[in-house]
Amino acid sequence: MDALKETTEKEYCKILQQVVFADDPDNREIHLADAFELGRNSVSQLMMPPDELVSIHHAAVLRLSEEHPELTLGEVAGLLTLPLIEISMSYGMSFREQVEQRYQDIVDRRLQQANKLEAVGTLAAGISHDFNNILGSIIGYAELIDDELPEGSSGKKNIKHLLTASMRARDLVARMLAFARQGENCGMVVVDAVSEIREALDLVNVTEKEFTISLQTGIAPASVMAKPGQVQQIVMNLCINAVDAMAQSGEIRVYVERATASQCGYDGAASGLCVMVSDRGHGMTPEMQERIFDPFFTTKEPGKGTGLGLSIVHSLVAELGGELTVESRTSGDNCGSDFRFILPLVSDEQQGTGCRRSCSRLAAAQCMGR
Amino acid sequence: MAHILVIDDDVLLRDVVTQMLEKDNHYVEAACDGDEGLRMFRKNTPDIVITDIIMPGTEGLEIIKEMVRLVDDLPIVAMSGGGRHSSYTNNLKIAKALGARAMLPKPFTRTELFEAITVAMG
Ligand SMILES: Nc1ncnc2c1ncn2[C@@H]1O[C@H](COP(=O)(O)OP(=O)(O)OP(=O)(O)O)[C@@H](O)[C@H]1O
Ligand SMILES: [Mg+2]
Repeated sequence: MDALKETTEKEYCKILQQVVFADDPDNREIHLADAFELGRNSVSQLMMPPDELVSIHHAAVLRLSEEHPELTLGEVAGLLTLPLIEISMSYGMSFREQVEQRYQDIVDRRLQQANKLEAVGTLAAGISHDFNNILGSIIGYAELIDDELPEGSSGKKNIKHLLTASMRARDLVARMLAFARQGENCGMVVVDAVSEIREALDLVNVTEKEFTISLQTGIAPASVMAKPGQVQQIVMNLCINAVDAMAQSGEIRVYVERATASQCGYDGAASGLCVMVSDRGHGMTPEMQERIFDPFFTTKEPGKGTGLGLSIVHSLVAELGGELTVESRTSGDNCGSDFRFILPLVSDEQQGTGCRRSCSRLAAAQCMGR
Repeated sequence: MAHILVIDDDVLLRDVVTQMLEKDNHYVEAACDGDEGLRMFRKNTPDIVITDIIMPGTEGLEIIKEMVRLVDDLPIVAMSGGGRHSSYTNNLKIAKALGARAMLPKPFTRTELFEAITVAMG
C-alpha cells in the first residue's frame, strides 16, 4: 500500500506540474483531466481511501510551491485545486444523471408494457361479445351448409377450411380474453406447481411427437399461490415456443428447483421456485428480445403465431408475484434460449389458509374460459 | 321431439340455433329479447330454454331467475359471448347459480350445442 501510495504520489505530482506550466489553456485542461483520471482510478480500482488521495493532493501542491518560489501557494492552489474540484463535480453529476436516467428508462419501459397489456385487455373485453356472436353464426351456418354438400365434393373441403379458420379466430379471442380477465378474482389457491408443469408437458408431448421434453425436479411438491391452470398455461406457452424454435426434432429441458436467495428478492419470504425452460433452437437476437413481450409481436407465419403467448406469460408471472427473465444466443454450441421464471413459494404456515389442490385439466379449462 | 324456446338478440345466431334444432326435429320458438322471451314462455311453456345472458332490455340473468320461479326443474342452457359488462365466466357462473343447468360459451359448434342440451336435460 505504501509503495502504491508513493508511485501514485510521484505520478500525480508530475501531472500537476504539467498543469501549472502548461503553455496554453487546452493543454492545461488535458493535464487536469489526467490528474482527475489518476485520482479516480486510484480510488475506484486500486481501492485507495479517498482521504489518502486528498492528502496526496495537498502534499503535491505544497511541493510544487516549494520547488517554485516564484509562485505563491495561493496561485498554485488556484491553478489546481479548484479546477479539479470542478471536474470531479461535473463528473459526479453526469454520472448520477446517467444512473437516474437509466433507472427511469427501465421504469418507463415496464409502464409502457403494462399499459399495452391493459389496452389489449380492454379492447378484448369490449369486442369479444359481438365478435363471439359473429363467429357463432359463421360457424353455425358453415355447419348447416356442410350438411347439404355431397361427401368428397370440393365445397365440403372448403367448408372444413372455413371451420378450421373460425376455430382459430375463436382461440384468438379466448386468448385476448385471458388478459381482460386477469384482474378478476377467480380465486387463488395453493397449487402444486410441479404437477401443473407435468400436465403441461404431457399436453405438449402429445401434440409434438418428434420432440423429447425432459423434466428435472429438485423440489416436489412445490406449493405456490395461483389460480388453477395458470402455472400450466405459463409452461405450455414457453414449451410451444421452444418447439417452434427447433427445426425438426430436439430436446427441451425443463428444470424445476428451489431458487437461490439472490434470485428471489422477495422481502421476508426468502424461498422461491425457479423454473427454466431451455431449448437449443435458433435463439433470439438482443433486438428481438427487446420486443418478444409486446402483444402481437411474432416472427411466425400468419396463422401460426398470434404473438400473444409471451405477453400472457409475462403478465401471468407478474400477477403471481414472480419474475421472468430470458437469456438467448443465436450462434455457437450454446445456441438456443433459456426462459426462467421465479415464483414465491408458499411457506408451511401459509399452507393452512388455502386448500391444497392440484389442478385438473377441467378446472384449468374453466378458469381459462373454455 | 321437444318444444324449445331460443332467446337471443343476435338475429343470425338466433336463426342458426333455430335451424340446427329444427333439423334435429324439435319444435322451436325464437324470441329477440328477454321481454319477448318471457311473454312466449308464459303463453306456452317450453320443455327447454336456450337463452343468451347479455341482452338489451331485460337481461338474460333476470329471465332465468323468473322462469325458474315459474317452473322449477326447468332445463335452461345459458349462452354467453363474454365481454361487455363483467366477465363472461363470471356471468355464466351467476347464471348457473340462478338455476341454469348448462353453460354454453359462444361461439359454439353444433356438437357443443347438443352436448349442452343433454347436460341440461340431466
Ligand atoms: N424459445 C424461443 N426461441 C426463439 N424465439 C422465440 C422463443 N420464444 C419466443 N420466441 C420469439 O418471440 C416471438 C413471440 O413469442 P410469443 O409466444 O409471444 O408469440 P408466438 O409464439 O409468435 O405466437 P403465439 O404464442 O401467440 O401462438 C415468437 O414469434 C418468436 O420469434
Ligand atoms: Mg408462442
